[in-house]
Amino acid sequence: MEVNGQLVLTVLMGLFLIAVAAWLARVENWRSYTPLAGAGAVGSTEQYVSEEKPSGVIRWLTTVDHKDIGILYGAYGLIAFVVGGLMVVVMRLELADPASTLISNTFYNSLLTSHGITMLFLFGTPIIAAFSNYFIPLLIGADDMAFPRINAIAFWLLPPAALLIWAGFFPIPDVIPAQTAWTMYTPLSAGVGSGNQMNAGVDLMLLGLHLSGVSATMGAINFIATIFTERNEKVSWANLDIFSWTILTQSGLILFAFPLLGSAILMLLLDRNFDTMFFAVEGGAILWQHLFWFFGHPEVYILVLPPMGLVSLILPRFAGRRLFGFKFVVYSTLAIGVLSFGVWAHHMFATGMDPRLRASFMAVSMAIAIPSAVKTFNWITTMWNGKIRLTTPMLFCIGFVSNFIIGGVTGVFLASIPVDLVLHDTYYVVGHFHYIVMGAIAFAGFAGLYYWFPIYTGRMYQTTLGKWHFWLSMVGTNLTFFVMVLLGYGGMPRRYATYLPEFATLHQIATVGALILFVAQVIFVWNFVQSWLEGPKVEDGDPWDLADDDLVTSEWHWFDRKLQTAIADGGEEEAELATDGGERIDDSQSTSDVSSDGGDPVAETDATSDE
Amino acid sequence: MASKTFDKDTMLDLTVNMVPLVIILFFVVGFSVFNPFGFESLASGLQYGILIGSFVLLAALTYLSGKAIAGSEKTDTVYLPGQATVPGATPLHGEHEDAAAEIEESADAEAVESAEGTA
Ligand code: HEM
Ligand SMILES: [Cu+2]
Repeated sequence: MEVNGQLVLTVLMGLFLIAVAAWLARVENWRSYTPLAGAGAVGSTEQYVSEEKPSGVIRWLTTVDHKDIGILYGAYGLIAFVVGGLMVVVMRLELADPASTLISNTFYNSLLTSHGITMLFLFGTPIIAAFSNYFIPLLIGADDMAFPRINAIAFWLLPPAALLIWAGFFPIPDVIPAQTAWTMYTPLSAGVGSGNQMNAGVDLMLLGLHLSGVSATMGAINFIATIFTERNEKVSWANLDIFSWTILTQSGLILFAFPLLGSAILMLLLDRNFDTMFFAVEGGAILWQHLFWFFGHPEVYILVLPPMGLVSLILPRFAGRRLFGFKFVVYSTLAIGVLSFGVWAHHMFATGMDPRLRASFMAVSMAIAIPSAVKTFNWITTMWNGKIRLTTPMLFCIGFVSNFIIGGVTGVFLASIPVDLVLHDTYYVVGHFHYIVMGAIAFAGFAGLYYWFPIYTGRMYQTTLGKWHFWLSMVGTNLTFFVMVLLGYGGMPRRYATYLPEFATLHQIATVGALILFVAQVIFVWNFVQSWLEGPKVEDGDPWDLADDDLVTSEWHWFDRKLQTAIADGGEEEAELATDGGERIDDSQSTSDVSSDGGDPVAETDATSDE
Repeated sequence: MASKTFDKDTMLDLTVNMVPLVIILFFVVGFSVFNPFGFESLASGLQYGILIGSFVLLAALTYLSGKAIAGSEKTDTVYLPGQATVPGATPLHGEHEDAAAEIEESADAEAVESAEGTA
């Protein structure tokens, strides 16, 4: 049974890799603007996207352009989302009945571990990096990232990280997947005892996780440097957009949190392989928990702050007005950043720690709920009496707010010690954080993907499918995770492949919800890929009509000029080449005039009269 | 300078971070007054360390960011966030270099305020 499950998964993963390779090959042909379309452009030297950019696969392997790297991050994140999603579909199917019918208990634990790590580190962080890489330089009027090559290196550390993390699933003799859960608590993760976690698969997973942390840290340093030093002179601190603020805060969190995870992982690897005793001595298990959660709690805000920024940026554009209390949102973002380092032990209330210390962590956890709540009120007030347009990105933003409220409120209850002692390690916790990671973070990611779809593809997605995607996701999320909250009240413990018969109905509802979510994501992938390849071309630099309400931001202005320069030059072939030449120059001068682009006063006037 | 940067509007913006600060302060006082678990130097030290450390760091960051944001509001043209490099974007309020514009400035700021409130 176990072997079957593994095989199925391996085959699926292989199929996806092939699909991606094929997709990249097609996208590359389309994007490289070579007149000789279809001439298998695997980096033949005569073909260039622009002066400095080769075409074909070579372009993607060598690029240091922040926009290309953003697309690479996005593709990577979405592939990881598919992998992690398929893993959980198998798990939910297994949980459709109490017995272990589909997969073994150990394989369930392996999937559970990999699902968590994949979603948090290989989907969550990279999908955020996709947006920040592509759009931060455009939003702040920078030429590119401060360190373009480090940017590329940071991305290219991720594919090996994924291979290491998933290594246990590949048919390698004697290597099995880690079953430690994403929190990797010792002594289990130290390989102690009669279990099978001394296996090299766990070491490989730890190394992969470490590598992804190195990647995230390099990215964070790059963003801090970029936002501090590469801003256009007009973009003062008072003019900085909200998404850049959240990325700046997030990068600060990464800078302090990830190195600590790296060190803790190294200590664990030493314990496993070199007989050190960091986590073996008395108090070692608690030491791990402290180290892990000192990273782990900031990590959840690392994941949620930029999505909050995306929503704060996108939601007002479809409410026809500016963000209410913009500066409240900025300051509360910074407050969350600081306070998130003072709450980690709320994950450890049940460990028997000193009650005085526990009380303090409860206090700070209550305090951190305030800035989150402030933002929620800001979003709601922004929409209040606004001119709301229920486009797909807006629907996802509203879904975000709604799910974030449930996720946040359940979090505040967990932060209260007596409540937590009852609900800790039950499905209630699983419900709480999935409302946030799926219902909020992933939703904001979708909002961003739809909102900027015209910019990075030059095309429009199919709006009806987008709405189907939203509604099915919304229903699926609430069905699945609200039921988990109820399961938690009933006392269903988390991280089990089986359950008592009394929980069957609720578990079956959760499985139905997960399948609805699955269908929704199939629609999304279809819509995304099909529209990227064949969707109607966007000819308007302001496809969302933001200019009507004076809400155009820099990246749309940049996009508008990119389109204008393409049209102004006329002539198919030339126009295409010029677009990209223009694109390259554009970057450096989204800040100044267009005139250096050679005969584009037309574009310039058009752009201004547009606004 | 400090009082000029931290005028009424800026202080109003910063209230959002005062609330968590006050909550932390509340618990500091609360834990001192009602102390069912007694005093023990290490545990109590950590107990107050977490609270006071968070308080100090949050206060410091709030001060610094407030200074940076309000300061650049005084010296540079202010646009809607994300619009500074869009040609033709209307500034929220313009240059405030000359002292004569002081009165106009506060009127301006109020206009922005009310626009923010009602828009
Ligand atoms: C509104 C503020 C929040 C509060 C007060 C809060 C509180 C808590 C508490 C006390 C727990 C521990 C429950 C237990 O294990 O017994 C918890 C778990 C968790 N929270 Fe939150 N939370 C908040 C927001 C968030 C956000 C924004 C995220 C994600 C971005 C998040 C993600 C998680 C995760 C992943 C766990 C489970 C970790 C694990 O044990 O695997 N929480 N939360
Ligand atoms: Cu936490």
